[in-house]
Amino acid sequence: MIKVNKTAHFWGLMRAFSVLILALSISVLILALSITLPSTIFAQTVPIEGMKENTPRVHAFTNGTIVTEPGNVITGGTLVIRNGIIEAVGSNVAIPADARVWDLAGKTIYPGFIDAFSEIGMKDPRVELDRGAQSWNPHLRAHLNAINEFNPEDDGSSELRAQGFTTVLSAPPLGIFRGDAAVIELGDGSVANRVVRNGVAQSASLSGSWDFGYIYPTSQIGVIALIRQTLYDADWYERAHQAYENNPRGLQKPETNAPLAALRDVVRGTKPILFTTSSDEQILRALRFTDEFNITPWIKGNGNEYKLIDVLSEASVPLILPLNFPEVPDVDSPEEALNEDLGDLRDWYLAPENPGRLNAADITFSFTTDGLEDKAHFLRNLREAVFAGLDSTAALAALTQNPARLLGIDTTHGSISTGKVANFVITDGDIFADQTQIMDVWVDGDRFNINSDNVIDVRGDWNLTSADGTVQADLSITQSRPGSLSGTITISGIEADLKNVASDDDTRRFRADFEGDAFDVYGLIQLTASVSGDQLNGWAEVPGSERVQWSAVRVAEFEEEVKEPDEKLARNLNISITRPSMEYGRESIPEQPRYVLIQNATIWTMGEDGILENADLLIERGEVTEVGRDLNVPRNAVVIDGTGKHVTPGLIDAHLHSGVDGVNEIGNAIVPEVRLGDVLNINNIWMYRQLAGGLTTAHVMHGSANPIGGQNVHIKMKWGSLSHDLVIEDAPRTVKFALGENPKRVGTDRYPETRMGTEQIIADRFNMARDYEARWNEWENNRVGIPPRRDLRLDAIVDILNEDILVQSHSYRADEILSLMRLAERYDFRIKAFHHGVEAYKVAPELAAHGAGAVVWSDWSSFKIEAYDATNYNARLLFEAGVATSLHSDDSQVASRMNWEAAKMVRAGMDPVDAMSLITSTTAELLGIDHRVGSLESGKDGDFVIWSGDPLSTLTVAEQTWIEGRKYFDINEDKTLQRNIANERAKLIERAKEVKND
Amino acid sequence: MNTLKSLFVALLCMMWTQTADAQIPAAPQSGPIALVGGTIHTVSGDVIENGTLLFEEGVITAIGTDVELPEGTAIEDVTGKMIYPGLIDSYSQMGIYEIGAVSLTVDVNEQGPINPNVKVERAFNPESRHIGIARSAGVLTSVTTPGGGLISGQSAAMHMDGWAWDTMTLKSGVGMIVSWPSANSDNYKSNIEDIRKAFADARAYKKAREASGVPRHDIDTRWESMIPVFTGEMPVIVDADDVRQIQDAITWAEEEDVRMILLSGRDSYLVTEYLKKNDIPVIITNVITAPNRAWESYDARYSLPSKLYDAGVEFAIAGDASAANANRLPLEAGAAAGFGLPVDEAIKAITLSPAKILGLDDRIGALEVGLDATFLITDGNPIEYATQVEQVYIRGSKSDMNDMHRQFYKKYREKLDQAR
Repeated sequence: MIKVNKTAHFWGLMRAFSVLILALSISVLILALSITLPSTIFAQTVPIEGMKENTPRVHAFTNGTIVTEPGNVITGGTLVIRNGIIEAVGSNVAIPADARVWDLAGKTIYPGFIDAFSEIGMKDPRVELDRGAQSWNPHLRAHLNAINEFNPEDDGSSELRAQGFTTVLSAPPLGIFRGDAAVIELGDGSVANRVVRNGVAQSASLSGSWDFGYIYPTSQIGVIALIRQTLYDADWYERAHQAYENNPRGLQKPETNAPLAALRDVVRGTKPILFTTSSDEQILRALRFTDEFNITPWIKGNGNEYKLIDVLSEASVPLILPLNFPEVPDVDSPEEALNEDLGDLRDWYLAPENPGRLNAADITFSFTTDGLEDKAHFLRNLREAVFAGLDSTAALAALTQNPARLLGIDTTHGSISTGKVANFVITDGDIFADQTQIMDVWVDGDRFNINSDNVIDVRGDWNLTSADGTVQADLSITQSRPGSLSGTITISGIEADLKNVASDDDTRRFRADFEGDAFDVYGLIQLTASVSGDQLNGWAEVPGSERVQWSAVRVAEFEEEVKEPDEKLARNLNISITRPSMEYGRESIPEQPRYVLIQNATIWTMGEDGILENADLLIERGEVTEVGRDLNVPRNAVVIDGTGKHVTPGLIDAHLHSGVDGVNEIGNAIVPEVRLGDVLNINNIWMYRQLAGGLTTAHVMHGSANPIGGQNVHIKMKWGSLSHDLVIEDAPRTVKFALGENPKRVGTDRYPETRMGTEQIIADRFNMARDYEARWNEWENNRVGIPPRRDLRLDAIVDILNEDILVQSHSYRADEILSLMRLAERYDFRIKAFHHGVEAYKVAPELAAHGAGAVVWSDWSSFKIEAYDATNYNARLLFEAGVATSLHSDDSQVASRMNWEAAKMVRAGMDPVDAMSLITSTTAELLGIDHRVGSLESGKDGDFVIWSGDPLSTLTVAEQTWIEGRKYFDINEDKTLQRNIANERAKLIERAKEVKND
Repeated sequence: MNTLKSLFVALLCMMWTQTADAQIPAAPQSGPIALVGGTIHTVSGDVIENGTLLFEEGVITAIGTDVELPEGTAIEDVTGKMIYPGLIDSYSQMGIYEIGAVSLTVDVNEQGPINPNVKVERAFNPESRHIGIARSAGVLTSVTTPGGGLISGQSAAMHMDGWAWDTMTLKSGVGMIVSWPSANSDNYKSNIEDIRKAFADARAYKKAREASGVPRHDIDTRWESMIPVFTGEMPVIVDADDVRQIQDAITWAEEEDVRMILLSGRDSYLVTEYLKKNDIPVIITNVITAPNRAWESYDARYSLPSKLYDAGVEFAIAGDASAANANRLPLEAGAAAGFGLPVDEAIKAITLSPAKILGLDDRIGALEVGLDATFLITDGNPIEYATQVEQVYIRGSKSDMNDMHRQFYKKYREKLDQAR
């Protein structure tokens, strides 16, 4: 870096910021000496102290290749900048008389790169915000602002400049709503002189953080619920304050809350909200907020975007892409390779293709260095992405034009054109070529040197002569590898190797040693010389004799070997992009034939018709239209011979926890606002395995850590669909309650700690909800005063009390089951079903009288004290008592063989059809989805399973599983898929080994 | 179907003792008993239709279609029923595990890595409610197995009826359990060294004790208990899942020249030849369980027994360790049969095969003259879900079928009836 003497300015700054400076250590003082101050002082308030500095800031760059913007190249052009602004650029530009001229022959100039997301200057962020009008929740920090949080000490700028960046978006790093991001120049010095644009976007994270300790939200469901509540709150906050401002008399003033106030423009949609995401599902979660709120989302991606090309094309949401590629999978030995799943292998192989695939689909994006542990890998990875198919013009756009437009700075940034800020990068070649180096980066018209051409070059053959003419020697200096010199010296035909060969650009000095033995000198002979072009002038330290002065003349240039470019991993594997991107993933969802007819099978209708032998089942456009004997064959129907086969409705699991990112929000005992539907994750091999066992529908539930837990979600196992397309839209809302051991053992100081407390906290929230409902009713009637705040938690409890949300309660012991029923009765509503209910049989008559169902295990027992009084006759006794009874898995593997669960009840003495009802018709009824699934009757969904025989026999397997008239599993197709998986894994493992061995 | 159901309820009412809450252990057989008219599945030999099974003092004395009955033989007509040898749960924590999350009721893992001297039968709780529950499902012998550490202790074969562990012990010291360390652990290699060292130390001890003309060597309780392993009387049962563990354990056993049985054996299908070469049988502990890797087939574990069968590896099927799940043993074998294992082989895997593998075949595992009269009477193939185990006999005595599951059912069925 060319440094002018800034001492005067430095001391001026010292006084201006004396308090700050006093706190700095000596080492920081040294660092501060290198601060480059802008010399345009018209826009500054800092008084001049000492001598004014006024070095000219006019530069002309000539003879270089100028890439003014992606796709526009001027060869041999000239660029003129004055006081940090581009004055002229073109092939016929006159060089101003006052300009310092830089000959850039052989060099290329690119517009300065813009990092669309970073945490520059955000080192050591404030965790505690102990002043001002805070939110109750430390995750809500929307009122913070990158500029006010900026810490210039070791802010990370130089690492990014070394990769060609001149400008970044910097965002506060902590919390869920993190605060406003700002565009900052990557010069040195006070942030005051580096702000390009403030308040560009509100930064938000979809992942919680443990920085604040053990506080709500502790889970992905909780994070999404808190974002949702906060957006409602921000809207309410503005209206509440307006109402108060309009007529404050007689009103209680609404609370002052800086984060909510700061979110005003976000909920209006005028300020973007930049969601940091960490998975493909998180991208969808962020986008789904737009269904509910008028917000303008930006997405900081995570490398999985190629899996969502259809979604991202349609959403046309601004995308910021990282280039942090996964590490090469561990495949050193075949034993280790066994444990690498296809999804991980593909993620590794496909990661560099992500930007190229998006670009090929006309999706616009900007790049970020975020996510790279070592920022120095950015260019390397960028080049890999280009090698992997990203068009280099698009790559450059993603570093310049695109982020400039996105960040609203394109009038001043993003290209090299007259009037824009003088931010540019000088390279020694094509930026996308492996060997190309960044030489200088200019920010705001100031030069930052990254790499230099060698000033001196001692390589070659020299003739050396001592000053007295007595010694003649041949010196040969070669370069063994970059930065490492070696050589020989030959005197009178005797050759010796040189040691410690070095040359230094700054001092222009050469050094080398050699052993004197061969020349009858005992010890090391040390050479030193000053280099000037093809001349060396130096002296030698010779042990045991006089120093010898010598000079040398270069007689031959060093011949550089032409280097082979780095061999790159050939990208010739034909990997199809499937959904999910893992084993058994699909390229598209299965087609739905207009008609599907199964003929001559044993059909368990699970309706009034019972079991029909030699019967046919007709599905039209995904719906059951007819079940009976000898049905007509519609034209073009897909006809399946069911001879010897049994057909049942698709099986239903009333209680499952697979395919979601987290199941418990433990940050509060009462959390009905959290929704499992928010966190579905299709990257779940269990879904395929469950389909393979005939499961078509599941009730995916919140965990049992809360007396009132979250809202559950009903899904179909539509393997190959997006997460939100799994959801059964017209299913009733249900909520998880939990009684007994689990909710009382969370943490050491969370209420409740006893079954007594569990009952009471539930009752207390019921009371609160009644009050809340009354407040809203008052408001709806008179609309006077401050509008009430919408509280999603109490909203849900109101819905529970009104049976708009059905209670599905985790329970073990009879006493707690009875308590919750009696409590509900006092609030005049019914519990829909008790789950697990290991002792439900003990209160079977009471359950029947209340109208509650029971959803139980077939035979789980004794894993804890409240499960000790288990009996395998539980479901049977409940059934006999007239309780609507279902089985459930609560376990991914069990869910994949629910027919075995029902079969166990035949062993316990139940009739086979009754046993089958425990996993089909009654299950559907208890989940409120019996209008869609659970039986094969006209008008129901075409969800069915073809079994090799009696589905309740140990020897039977599911052969085909259909959902809504589409075949999602076929036992024969599965064999083919298994072969394909084995082949693809083998190819990818081989490739990974190649890379590892390189 | 409904007739069938009411018939079954009636049957249950007859079978289950009406009165007692506690299950009373059966008295020893007092006179010869002959079961006549049933289909006898001997497992080791032919299926005998309309056969007679005669047993006296707890031992089978005759089997066939033409059996002469001694005087005073009590005759039971079991026409239309099936008789199978008692099922053997070759890996269980029966009697040393009561309630999972209540640690004071669990006696599975002793302190420290090297516990060759602990013997499960001496801590076997005859009052465990899981005994009666597994028994009425046909599980008549449980190989109760300790766990934890590296050398976990000695397993024992236990009769599933009796007053106390002494009379309930069919065989003590069935196997020395070695819990092979996890291959993913950073301490994997050093843990293997620990096992090698323990065996070397125990061998040195044996030599020192046996040597003559040297000063007397004092007793080391741990190494003393390992002597039967070196004399070949006691096999080493190595609990290992991952292919690395399995390979390394086989190599180790070969070097140590000990008789090895592989327990669990999730990845055993990858090294069947190595297993066969060393005559190492496998006790598959879980069939109804999840594949370990996403690329593995959904049925990877269900079809493991059939893969070992096809490869010619000797194996038995056990179940989940939890004593509370021991009643699922026939269903574990059933799952294997659902995924490729012939039904007869599946039944063998829970009767004769474990008896042979564990050296119990001189007492149990089949229906043959001279073997214990330990068997079940069913209305069908015991591994089929719908099959009812109607009565079990252990050493010639009829066991109480009224287990805790049935007692709870009956008690609360009574509540329901009262409410009506």
